Amino acid sequence: MSARPELITIEGVTKRYLTSSGPVDALHDVSLSVEEGAFCTLIGPSGCGKSTLLGMLGGLVTPDRGRLLVDGRPVTGPDPRRVATVFQEAGLFPWRTTLQNVEFGLELQGVPAERRRQTAAELLGPLGLSGFAEKYPRELSGGMKQRVAIGRALALDAKILLMDEPFGALDEQTRLLMGEWLLDIWRRTRKTVIFVTHSLHEALFLSTRVAVMTARPGRIKTALDLTMEYPRAMESSEMVALRAKLWSEIREESLRAMR
Amino acid sequence: MRVRILQIVTVIAALGVWEVVARMGWVDPLFVPAPSAVAPALLKIGRGALAGLADTLGKTAVAYVLSVVLGVSAGVAVGSIRLLREVLSPYVIAFYGIPKILVLPWIVLLLGYGTTPAVFYGVLHGFFPIMVLVMGAVRDVDRTLVAVARSLGATTWQLYWKVLLPAIVPSVLGGMRLGVVFCLLGVLVVEMFAGVRGMGHVLGSYANGFQAPELFAATALVSAASIAIVLALDHLNDRLSRWRG
Amino acid sequence: MTVVGLRLGLLALFLAIWEIAGRKVNPLLGVPPSAVLPSLRDLLLLRSYPDLPASLWLTIREIGTAYALAVAAGLGCGFVLGMHRLVGRAWGPMLAALYAVPAVVWYPSLMLFFGLDAASKIAFGFLLGFFPIALAVLAGIRQVNPQLVVVARAYGAGTATVFRRVMLPAMLFTLVGGLRTGLVLCVIGVVVGEILGSKAGMGALINHAYGLLRTGDYVALVLVTLVLVVGSDVLASLLERRARRWTE
Repeated sequence: MSARPELITIEGVTKRYLTSSGPVDALHDVSLSVEEGAFCTLIGPSGCGKSTLLGMLGGLVTPDRGRLLVDGRPVTGPDPRRVATVFQEAGLFPWRTTLQNVEFGLELQGVPAERRRQTAAELLGPLGLSGFAEKYPRELSGGMKQRVAIGRALALDAKILLMDEPFGALDEQTRLLMGEWLLDIWRRTRKTVIFVTHSLHEALFLSTRVAVMTARPGRIKTALDLTMEYPRAMESSEMVALRAKLWSEIREESLRAMR
Repeated sequence: MRVRILQIVTVIAALGVWEVVARMGWVDPLFVPAPSAVAPALLKIGRGALAGLADTLGKTAVAYVLSVVLGVSAGVAVGSIRLLREVLSPYVIAFYGIPKILVLPWIVLLLGYGTTPAVFYGVLHGFFPIMVLVMGAVRDVDRTLVAVARSLGATTWQLYWKVLLPAIVPSVLGGMRLGVVFCLLGVLVVEMFAGVRGMGHVLGSYANGFQAPELFAATALVSAASIAIVLALDHLNDRLSRWRG
Repeated sequence: MTVVGLRLGLLALFLAIWEIAGRKVNPLLGVPPSAVLPSLRDLLLLRSYPDLPASLWLTIREIGTAYALAVAAGLGCGFVLGMHRLVGRAWGPMLAALYAVPAVVWYPSLMLFFGLDAASKIAFGFLLGFFPIALAVLAGIRQVNPQLVVVARAYGAGTATVFRRVMLPAMLFTLVGGLRTGLVLCVIGVVVGEILGSKAGMGALINHAYGLLRTGDYVALVLVTLVLVVGSDVLASLLERRARRWTE
């Protein structure tokens, strides 16, 4: 294990939702730690509480028990200067242009118009959105929309980026390209990323650490550290073996979730 | 293009049939005058009718501004506060649905004849559709947008100002389009029921005086004004929402 | 539970304010709820208005006739416009533009033409009820998924079968909604017509009570009319629910 400091600590977190059809245990006694600069992927069957866990780190959901520390301080609410979230649906404001969407977070923080415009404009290049600054969301493709949403999170320059299945709604080819693009962005900005996905490929291609969650109530089943160099050759025997191992872990839980 | 031609042909054909029917004496010209008799009547009533129309539109404008301001504020407040919405919505729907004509005599008793009851009754008609529409729109604002804004640290004030209000603009515009017709309707009804001025009064007195050509001309005038207002609002609507595509 | 309590509390508060305010103002203008009850009793026992049943029955017949005409014309017109694309594209916007005119402007002409009797009320109720029905048919036809029609044709369905088995079920939801709105507007049209000028019917009674400043009777008559209005809508919503179950 490396000696880098832990940036995120999750200790014994439990969450139960009350629904009209009775209580649902979303998370049960989840503990996980993520070190600075890591790319940590949460993977597991549908409804295993991955999104709930992410919501807690983002300060949108409060745990019933346990605690979450970011940078040594407990999470009490949304703190966009430290943690920025990207949702599965891009969630772009349809009445705002690309540029205005990217600068939205800065605007809420009260950053002066000129400075936030500049920050956002500088981001468009790496986002591959130069020339689309004045377009409205309806004029953008699915992949572009998701890049705008990621740009909106990056604009805040928070240390931590939470991503809740950001590419879940995209077609496979776009998805692969977006993965390569995200890897590039991450390696350049050195953010700490928590990434929720259903895709084995994404988990193995991107992560330094993969946490497999169990079927509901969600717990951390196993956590793997991946040390291979980037960019990873997905066909190497090492990767193929890892993929098989990961799949057998997840398959079991997915089967349980389907029952 | 073919659509446009068909529309024009329809109007001309309708007027033609009407003219022939009236000329042949199939209907009593006392009740249904031929278009050729309505056109001169339009010139004859000109000045007086325009003054009446101006009076009516003036009251409608006041009622409309009040309806929009009150309707949007109430819709946003009730729509965004869950408890308020759950408690009040059956009452709002009930007030929206019941025929307001039933309270008209009482309003006239309380407020007398003239401008005040007309404006009040206009607001009564315009307020509810706008409020109901806005209320629904606020309730149905995309949850993801709210979550995004909250995760980016939006304050309550910012949530309203930067997310809710822009998101409901299309519904507000739709409500404004609907509301103006309702306001005009309310004002006209009061003028017919207990008016001393305005287009509703003008229409009523032509009907009572069996002045069919004048009545038809005046009806055409109000209709044209109403359609023009709605088309203008539609145009404004298109201009204001480029992002909707 | 709390919500229901708060709703009832609000209603009680409203009635209390009405009671207090109603007692303070001129009795010709304000009627506290406690004064409405005796009036309502007198009305229902046919003491104040012995011709109440006849008036009520006339109003109901007017509504029924107007609605029957509106349904027939609305469905016919809607299907003609909906099935012929060119006609629909030309006349649809014209219909919508007419909808943008407050309907009450037509009423004086109708009164002139049909007189003060039932016919003018029926005509006005028809006019109000016709538009939502015709527009609902148009909207319903437009929302039928063309893919379904293609599939049905590919399986060998003829025009009649496509209509009965595909179009009708797919558009029923919108259609029934339009029929319900049409009924509500028919009722409103008839009542508006009666109040703006009539010799008989509930509106005439209301106008009579109002003209003689018998405010208690006026409120009681309004309540009876409201029962008629709400009752017709409840009936319509029950039919709507049935129709929905049938489509599922």
